Amino acid sequence: MNKSLILAAALTAATALTSPAFAQTVLRVDEVAVGELDPAKASDYADSILMFNVYDTLVLPRQGGPGYDPHLAGSWEADGANYTFTLRDDVTFQSGNPLRAADVVYSLERMQEIGQGLSHLFTGVTAEAVDEHTVRFTLDEPYAPFVASLVRLPIVDQVLVAENATEDDPWAEGYLSGNAAGSGAYTVTSHNPQDVTVMALNEGYFLPINDAAPDQVRLRYSLEAATVRTLLSQGEHDIASQWLPPEVIRALAADGAQLFTESGTGAFYVKMNTQRAPLDDVNCRLALSHAFDYGTALQMVAINEEVSSGSAPTGAIPVGMYGSNPAEMALERDMDAARAYLEACPYDPADFNLEISWIAEVPLEERFALLMQANFAELGISSSIETLPWALFTERVASPENTPHISQIFVNAVTGDPDTLLFGMYHSSTPGTWQSPEYLADDQVDAALEAGRRGPGEEDREAAYAALNERLMELAPTIYGYDRQSVFAASDRVNAPALSDPAMAFGVDGMGFSFRLMEMTE
Amino acid sequence: MSSVFRILLRRLAISVIVLIGVSMLIFAIARIIPGDPARIALGPNANADQIASLRTEMHLDEPIIAQYGYFVADVMRGNLGQSLYTNRPVTVDIAEFLPATLELVIFAGILMVGLGLPLGILAARHRGRWPDHLVRVGTLLTVSAPSFVWAVILMLLFAFYLPLFPVAGRLTDSYEIARVTGFLTVDTLLAGNFSAFVDALHHLVLPSIALALSGIGQAARLTRANMIETYDKPYIEMAQAFGFYPTRIARRYAFKPSLIPSLTIIGLDFAAMLGNAFLVEAVFAWPGLSRYGVAVILRKDLNAIMGTVLVIALTFLVVNILVDLLIAFLNPRIRHSTRASS
Repeated sequence: MNKSLILAAALTAATALTSPAFAQTVLRVDEVAVGELDPAKASDYADSILMFNVYDTLVLPRQGGPGYDPHLAGSWEADGANYTFTLRDDVTFQSGNPLRAADVVYSLERMQEIGQGLSHLFTGVTAEAVDEHTVRFTLDEPYAPFVASLVRLPIVDQVLVAENATEDDPWAEGYLSGNAAGSGAYTVTSHNPQDVTVMALNEGYFLPINDAAPDQVRLRYSLEAATVRTLLSQGEHDIASQWLPPEVIRALAADGAQLFTESGTGAFYVKMNTQRAPLDDVNCRLALSHAFDYGTALQMVAINEEVSSGSAPTGAIPVGMYGSNPAEMALERDMDAARAYLEACPYDPADFNLEISWIAEVPLEERFALLMQANFAELGISSSIETLPWALFTERVASPENTPHISQIFVNAVTGDPDTLLFGMYHSSTPGTWQSPEYLADDQVDAALEAGRRGPGEEDREAAYAALNERLMELAPTIYGYDRQSVFAASDRVNAPALSDPAMAFGVDGMGFSFRLMEMTE
Repeated sequence: MSSVFRILLRRLAISVIVLIGVSMLIFAIARIIPGDPARIALGPNANADQIASLRTEMHLDEPIIAQYGYFVADVMRGNLGQSLYTNRPVTVDIAEFLPATLELVIFAGILMVGLGLPLGILAARHRGRWPDHLVRVGTLLTVSAPSFVWAVILMLLFAFYLPLFPVAGRLTDSYEIARVTGFLTVDTLLAGNFSAFVDALHHLVLPSIALALSGIGQAARLTRANMIETYDKPYIEMAQAFGFYPTRIARRYAFKPSLIPSLTIIGLDFAAMLGNAFLVEAVFAWPGLSRYGVAVILRKDLNAIMGTVLVIALTFLVVNILVDLLIAFLNPRIRHSTRASS
């Protein structure tokens, strides 16, 4: 025993004596999933962090407010279904190749051909290079949030990608899954999809970068909550992922960690299968909606008195988006109304048992499943809880017969525009996806969603989404659990204005992790 | 032809059959796991046409026998296919992740043998006295709790409350070591970087102890039980009657016969650690094959599942062969019985 202790102490001492000093500032963050480096396949949060730092887009969401600002584009003009962008002429890729209109066209075509990630945002879009620095997009039909969708079109270096393409791999997917071909503020030094992606500051970036921005960023994957907590306490980690259980974030905050937040583009939705009895009846759905304990749900995700992973829901659309209700109209539990709706429901509660599912990879959902089971039991409705791994869930929801009565999903607007939050969930042309286990088919909902897409003006869109929100409240295909806010525990070594100052926040998930805007304090 | 060589040939022949059987079994099981691999690979926003196209490309629409035929043909060419999880060839993934797990398991194995056997000998020599009681209680504790519980306890004690050891990864971020073997304890020495070598050892301490504790307990208990049985044998009594020193009796006459039955179990434990390392790897953010294996199963990454299982099965077989050879080497009766039967 003594020898073991001596050995441990010797190892510790030897390491302490021989560890080299950091010559540069290093930021260490983590995410739960594997980071997809190929920008054409990026879809989830980890992918977005990589994409927004390694690649650039034509436009960026305006910080602290609505709208979009030019980024790789110097300016643009919209003419019906045509959008013409003039590119900056001072941008070079990390390879040294200059940015050209042909790169933009190639990036769009590559994304469409690969057909993964968020390529569905660009269905019916074609692009042509008008000249070296002018690119024109033509849309099959008017799509008001087109400019917003461009925050999800990362521009790749066509010359570099083509050099690494082969006959079997014409879009160089193999190369781009481990290497970067962007113009972003950070280059990829190494990428181990199960362990860590290491990024280094791109000294040749076309925009000025804060002197205190981290020289190196290490994005770690799939760390356990206990590991993250220990790493932060040891000063060996800087920003934890948002997926830590609330009690762990709470404990970290109590230990002195600062809390960053990112909000406004998503919500927690409890989806009801409108094709299966008894939830094919609107009164039955309304009974469940009114029986849900919104207050307890919010308490379950609260970190402390000031910060929470959720805020009170007001309807189908998170507060702040087009068509949302004001924050004062928070939804509340109303058991009297719930009982009245249940009376009007043609089904007898004694005759059915609701399947409440939760995604195995999101332990928080089990707590909501238990909450709902208790809430619905007060109406005399029995239910059973079913755990579904994500892979099985996406398969089950492909048919209404196999879709559970109740599914729980976190959904966010990937471009910051409500179209990318709502169309996939509620339009009748997109049933049976992970976003739409309701199988809702309603003409008024479809019309409002299409009007919201069509625009053209902001007022038209506001009116369309307000009508949609109202209709969705009447139909109650979903229990609108809470408006979601991502909370990140962080060390005091880092300042992240885009994650701590609402005036600097972007309206797109993951963009707050633009490392060039962060500041290392040590 | 020596008897040991005959044993080796026979074991190799059996191993090939076992590998084929394992590959068929896992190939079938992997396709029964719920979830469409094409849908999972393409992500939640893929449409039906894209999914159908990838299913065709992956031969998923063909009979399972035909799919197995494609798989065997690819394996013969050294191609385990592309991982849908990492978007890289499975062989590249295995080459990257296997050394990390092997390094961890080898260190855990060294601890298992290096501590388990001496503790067993100590307990047997002092049967019924306090060292024996101490070892029995201690080993019962290590056997009772799974390795991930030990991982969390060790992390709390020696990283959180007493920050003596690193908690994640294989090497401190600031070291950049050229990859040669993938074993960092070897690569750091090849690079001539002694401080990095010490750092790699430092990172190995907690995960290898967590992984080894259960095996240490089992090895100690087995060795103790076998040695106590051996101590009751007449030839030991004779040695004692001759007045040989207790240490000599233990080392030369009691330990060797007691070791043989323990070796098979220790060998199996050693190989089993490859699979069991998953939770330890998860807790200590160890980028190894076990963690990769679980991740690919959850994503129904068929090629990666097959590759991982085959590598683990192959390791089991190799360890088994080595243990059989070692037992044959230690036990002349096995060598002679093999010669007689042949």
